[in-house]
Amino acid sequence: MNAAGEAVHHILVVEDDPHLAAGVVENLRAEGYAVERVDNGRAALEVLETDAFALVLLDVMLPELDGFTVCRTLRERGDNTPVLFLTARGDPADRVRGLEAGGDDYMPKPFHLKELLLRVRAILRRWDWYHSAAAETSVLRFGENEVDFRAFRARAWNGLTQELTEKEAMILKVLAEHPGQIVSREDLLERVWGYDVFPSTRTVDNFILRLRRRFERDPANPRHFLTVWGVGYRFLIEAES
Amino acid sequence: MTQRAIKVPRVLQITVMVLVLVCTVQVGWWIYDQHRYAVEKVAELQRAYRQQAAAARALLVAGVPVARVQTLLPGVELTPDGARPSPAAEHRLLTEEHLRIEQYAWEGAFFLLALGACIVIIALALRAEALVMLEQDNFLAMVSHQFKTPLASLQLSLETLALRPTSAQQTQVLTERMLADLERMEGMVSRILESARLDRGRVELRHEPVDLASAVRRASASAEERAAQAHIKITTEIDPGLVVLADPLALDVVLRNLLDNALAAVAPVGGGHIAFAARRAEASVELTVSDTGVGFRPADGVRLFEKFTRLQPGGGSYHGTGLGLYIVRRLMHLMGGRVSAESAGAGQGSRFVLVWPAAPAESA
Repeated sequence: MNAAGEAVHHILVVEDDPHLAAGVVENLRAEGYAVERVDNGRAALEVLETDAFALVLLDVMLPELDGFTVCRTLRERGDNTPVLFLTARGDPADRVRGLEAGGDDYMPKPFHLKELLLRVRAILRRWDWYHSAAAETSVLRFGENEVDFRAFRARAWNGLTQELTEKEAMILKVLAEHPGQIVSREDLLERVWGYDVFPSTRTVDNFILRLRRRFERDPANPRHFLTVWGVGYRFLIEAES
Repeated sequence: MTQRAIKVPRVLQITVMVLVLVCTVQVGWWIYDQHRYAVEKVAELQRAYRQQAAAARALLVAGVPVARVQTLLPGVELTPDGARPSPAAEHRLLTEEHLRIEQYAWEGAFFLLALGACIVIIALALRAEALVMLEQDNFLAMVSHQFKTPLASLQLSLETLALRPTSAQQTQVLTERMLADLERMEGMVSRILESARLDRGRVELRHEPVDLASAVRRASASAEERAAQAHIKITTEIDPGLVVLADPLALDVVLRNLLDNALAAVAPVGGGHIAFAARRAEASVELTVSDTGVGFRPADGVRLFEKFTRLQPGGGSYHGTGLGLYIVRRLMHLMGGRVSAESAGAGQGSRFVLVWPAAPAESA
């Protein structure tokens, strides 16, 4: 808890450059976050195994283990802690690699301090929203599917257990908050990813496809995740007859 | 970058193929045309001989004496039945035809060969140029990447000062950090320029006797402050009067780069020791720079001196351009000496050995 009685977010900074790491750590602390720093990938994985963090700021070119591998390993372990990549490798291909590895956001070096702090805040806000929403309604039932938002796990109509990624769970949560209503792709992008992380709203479409494959009896003729052409999606708790 | 690497050779291949095709067709057409020309000429001459034979027969029928006809038309053989083109003339014609055709075939083949050789040479040159361009692209990408970290740190410190009020002590820390970042970038610029100069062979080194002990003293004095901050002790054990044949400036660059490398290797382990020791061998002088730093895998001893090599784990990732040891090797080579590196493994420290031929006065 901080002075205002709010929960303090714990952030892990993984950066091997001592100056840059010191600068980032000092600024995050000045913003009221509790910050820990490690300087290589292996140490990051060790710390993340024992301690819980609200966010990881992860460099890509690290000694021992690179940032992409660290992030991928975390996701394989089922750890959904948000990851913000901070890296000198800023070309689009690397951005895509970072997001594919399970990253939430990607900032190329050199970056603006204000923008970094804004993005950190945005990720934490989204994460807080998800957790509080998941605490309120932790289980969603639609059709014969059942989703446990806190465990990131679901049981589909065919009895199979589905492990959800953080983004899939968040999309499902946003849609479930507005059953029967149209939710635009832009809204989904804003609520789940933030502003300019992905190049296009097509990413949202890909995630909807994944959700359909997991939960629709016939993904080609969806009855829960309906497309509203040119606008976005409509989610139905009861399958449309 | 990768796209470019694929694109250039493909354009090249197509151009070269079109060139080869056009040249082959051109030379083939030339051979065919010359052959046709020779055959036509022979046929024309044969026709002329046949006309002469007809004329000879007409003259004989008209009662012109045989001897007179033979003098008038030497290419015709007179027979009891009349006249025909002389076999000798026919033979000459055919021989001439064969010779011509043979000549065209040889010349054509030679032209084709010469063309092929030219095309191969041009293609090789273009390919080499494409490789150079690719290397330059890689170099740029690597260099810009190396600059981004200190640049990010510098920007972060400045923006921190601009964003929030800082105490005098914090301001002091941030200022020192910014100065150190600037120094890092300045060091990188010098190394990149130095390596570019070495690559283009634009260095003329002097070979003069240099006192090794004073050269090492000068280089280590420049690093004293940094070493003290990082709890690193630098010692030297060099006999006074030990002289090497070297360029004084190049030697200074070599020693500073080795020292920077050693400092970067020792700093991450929280301090330690860097030792310079020199001894005279039979016809050479050997200087050893050992440190108690992060070390490297024994197999990486050679790769260390290649361009852009930055081994993990190591302090090299902090200051490194991946050019320092490359410059050391190039300069040592240009000075007629050599350098090698060894380590028992990660965490075991490392040892760099420089060897110069001894100065004549020394070896004598």
